[in-house]
Amino acid sequence: MKQDVDCKETATMPVYPPMSSRQNQFEALVRGHSTDLYRYAYWLCGQDALAQDLVQDTFLRAWRALDKLREVGAVKAWLITILRREHARLFERKSMPSDDIDDFDLPDPQATPERRTEESALRQAIAKLEPKYRDPLVLQVLGGFSCSEIAAQLGLGEAAVMTQLFRARQKLKGQLGLDDQAAEVSEL
Amino acid sequence: MNCLEFRRRLGSEPACSFEDFVAHRAECVHCAAAHARAEEFESRIRAAFNVAVPANLADRILLAQTTEARHERRGRRRGFAALMLAAAASIVVALVAVNRPRTEVPELAGMVVDHLREHVVGADRTGSPVPKQDVMDAFAARGVSLASVPDGVNYVHKCPAGPYNTVHMVMPERSGPVSVVYVADKRIAGQVDFSRDGMHGRQLPLGKGSLVMVASADADFDAIERVWKSAMGEAVATSEGFAVPVLQSPGPGAILAAP
Ligand SMILES: [Zn+2]
Ligand SMILES: [Zn+2]
Repeated sequence: MKQDVDCKETATMPVYPPMSSRQNQFEALVRGHSTDLYRYAYWLCGQDALAQDLVQDTFLRAWRALDKLREVGAVKAWLITILRREHARLFERKSMPSDDIDDFDLPDPQATPERRTEESALRQAIAKLEPKYRDPLVLQVLGGFSCSEIAAQLGLGEAAVMTQLFRARQKLKGQLGLDDQAAEVSEL
Repeated sequence: MNCLEFRRRLGSEPACSFEDFVAHRAECVHCAAAHARAEEFESRIRAAFNVAVPANLADRILLAQTTEARHERRGRRRGFAALMLAAAASIVVALVAVNRPRTEVPELAGMVVDHLREHVVGADRTGSPVPKQDVMDAFAARGVSLASVPDGVNYVHKCPAGPYNTVHMVMPERSGPVSVVYVADKRIAGQVDFSRDGMHGRQLPLGKGSLVMVASADADFDAIERVWKSAMGEAVATSEGFAVPVLQSPGPGAILAAP
């Protein structure tokens, strides 16, 4: 059954990059994107070990499907799509709603100079965000995606994404007690 | 864009580079100040998102992948036998009659095998012979002009294998489909037969390149070698003098008869 699918898929695109260049392409992919992908995975699932597994599974899938990657420019979105799917699959298997993660294992804010404290407060604030606010924010800040690209990733409308991004920032500022929102509005 | 629209955009996409967004910022002092504050906040968010990445993450991923790739080559994930049944795969291998087949796949054949693993030609595409002109054209595109085209080529495609240019063919034989791959730009020194995981292969120098055959059985390798030497205009010495192409293309029913 599986072989059959393989035949059909490969039959439509019989030309592949040479093996050695395929390996090189993959290695460049891993070296270039594993850091961002790990961070993305971490903020998606909130756990270091799980994030590492997700990233590894994502790249192994990417390796098997490398021939389907046509545009190099779209590689990051492609990897993130694979990772999101892996993540969804994982939570489906555990029959656990992916909205239910509030137990982030945040990095230990040890040896805290001022900057650290502030950073860890912000991390906690991000961890407390509902996924519907956090997800687009991570995609925007870490992924560098535009609102329309995020909308495509999440299967939402662009206006909804913009609203969620706006609220995500408001909520973060609120949690940190940065009330410049009022100041900004009064300027208008 | 007015101030309100600007602030909405700023709150949702501070790095926005839309023309009217940038233009408003340039002409409105208040919004420019708000933008500066937003940028400062963005850099803090970015720093917060940038959690430490485990050491050697990339190396561990690459290790996992090469391990998996090796396993695949060994046929643990996709058995070669299954592949051979499901697909008409053929590799051309030179036969050293004296030697027992090697269990190690030689480098060139390895690249061809890798290609065949990726490029599985479905049985539905090898049901009947392709026009001889197609075979002629594929070789011509690789800089080879054939003296003749053997019978029984049921699939032909120009494919890469490693860094090399090949003509990838499938020849359904009595013993099952044989993948026959002519590597146009690499001439190996001598013939090597190999056999591993239920896969048999032979690679031999032919013309300015090499011929690699891969199949689930090696029974037809000698015959295929003869017809391709003849097609390339090479004299083929056999016990009967010069061999002529002897292969017949079997009827479609014979094509995927399981070995
Ligand atoms: Zn303004
Ligand atoms: Zn091919």
